[in-house]
Amino acid sequence: MTIPPATALSRSSGIRASTGVALVGALLVWVALLGPLLALLAHLTPRSVVSALRQPGAFQPLEVSVLASLIALAVILLLGTPLAYLMARGRLPFPRLWEVGVILPLLTPPLVIGLLLIFMVGPSTPIGAALSRIDLTASDTFFALVLAEVYEAVPYYVLGAAAAFASVDPQLEQAAGLLGDGHWRTFRRVTVPLAAPGLATALAVTWARAMGAFGAVLIIAYHPFGLPMQIWVTLQESGLSSALPFALVLLVVALPLPVGAFIWSSHARRRL
Amino acid sequence: MLAADFEVARRDFTVGLDIQVAPGERVAVLGPSGAGKTTLLEAIAGLVPLTAGEIWLDQDRISSARSPRRDTRMGHRRVGLLRQNPGLFPHLTVLENICYPPGALPVQAVATAARMGLSGLQHARPQGLSGGEAQRVALCRALQTELRLLCLDEPFSSLDRPLGRELLGVVREALTDSGAAAVLVTHQLSDAQAFADRVAILHRGSVLQIGDPREVVLRPKSALVASLVGYRGWLRRGDHVLAIHPDLAHPVGAEEGDGVISGRVVGIVPDGALVDVELTAEGDWVGRWHARLAEPPQLGSRLYFRPETAPRFPGSEAVFD
Repeated sequence: MTIPPATALSRSSGIRASTGVALVGALLVWVALLGPLLALLAHLTPRSVVSALRQPGAFQPLEVSVLASLIALAVILLLGTPLAYLMARGRLPFPRLWEVGVILPLLTPPLVIGLLLIFMVGPSTPIGAALSRIDLTASDTFFALVLAEVYEAVPYYVLGAAAAFASVDPQLEQAAGLLGDGHWRTFRRVTVPLAAPGLATALAVTWARAMGAFGAVLIIAYHPFGLPMQIWVTLQESGLSSALPFALVLLVVALPLPVGAFIWSSHARRRL
Repeated sequence: MLAADFEVARRDFTVGLDIQVAPGERVAVLGPSGAGKTTLLEAIAGLVPLTAGEIWLDQDRISSARSPRRDTRMGHRRVGLLRQNPGLFPHLTVLENICYPPGALPVQAVATAARMGLSGLQHARPQGLSGGEAQRVALCRALQTELRLLCLDEPFSSLDRPLGRELLGVVREALTDSGAAAVLVTHQLSDAQAFADRVAILHRGSVLQIGDPREVVLRPKSALVASLVGYRGWLRRGDHVLAIHPDLAHPVGAEEGDGVISGRVVGIVPDGALVDVELTAEGDWVGRWHARLAEPPQLGSRLYFRPETAPRFPGSEAVFD
């Protein structure tokens, strides 16, 4: 049996010590991230949840939020997917400019997005006037809520989807083309299945952002109340204990899809 | 029938090809790395646009520099491309990969897979295949498209030599069955000779010589071609240069005539079952050459070589050492 030299021994114990420090750090972050959720559960009693949700119209904000987020998700998917694909394949002129355009809403505080949206689509703007001709108003309407959610959530989808598309080997798309597929069939049969894990993650994050959109919503879509606005208004009018059950509902509705998508995505990634 | 006369501009140089390939014929394009071999195949397959000329396949003009928008879509060319990366779809099984081309018949796909020795692997994922198996699957898949032309971009160069040679044999058989023509690009002369009916020598985007695989080696038209087909000796006297191929530089006795060149052994390196011997010329000749011999000579000993068999070039041509 050979004995490892002293330097190798000390190096491996050094690695072990640093791994330990990293683990402790990771644990702290994990606990800190889960802390608010644990605190919420600790402060809720079944009776308070039941009584809050038994109030007339208690589920209406939930319906509004789910419907608005589903429509926002559909719009983002429809408009964001081609952009994400073109960005990933470098087929856009001035690619940095496009990236900045996508990242800007991410870096802009949501309240400011709301203010800027008023200047862009408010009733007194040309776009607002055009919208009014088809009976749409981007202020305190369901349409405004969807619009605010789209603006708050779209960068998460486009950036995530672009990364997912970029991870697909372009030679596989070429192979599909040489075997007889057109662009659309290649996209459907090769690109999307291979990008699916990343796309699922991007969609999950986007859904959570849309469901939780608040800043821009507060400015341009105070009505109709979605769940975040309901939480805010209840907190203002009746206090923390009345708002907490709605917070729980938001989490219960908003979280399963992203968590499920994350689990599926990591499983699917392992198979590819 | 492939009739191609085209150019593709690259950043460093323009790649051009003027060639006709008969149905069922196999042509190899031999050249060093960076000669533009892959660009040629990509142009034929429709992956890069032409900057001049056009490409015809049978009665179809599939690419044209004048009207690139009317180029035949690559999926409609019935041109297959096998590369070093087999390009199998990782989300599909072997059989699903083989059946991928639109219109592929599963019964026919299963039969082709069986012929290629893939029967037990139909439900395997590409990730679990060896390099050789993956290439067989890629070939099977390409054959489901009623190929008119198969382009091979050194597909087997990352496999070990015997396996690569075996797979080239498999491709030859498959092509004979299907009647499709083929263009193989490679930097291995032996692969080109084993596979092709004709060999084209490519250097910096230009075809220097094209012909019978053995003729190109025995009668290179220039010193540059000679250097590309394995000549490793350059002897200068007066205004001409002799190119010497190590396999053709058999030693003769000193007394066999006046024309013999003598050289002194300065290096001996084992090369398979033979030895590679390096010699420096003596007398009127200047330069070095290599010979592959069965028996290793003494270092410093003198050997003689009859130069009549060696191609002769004007001295103005560059001498490669």
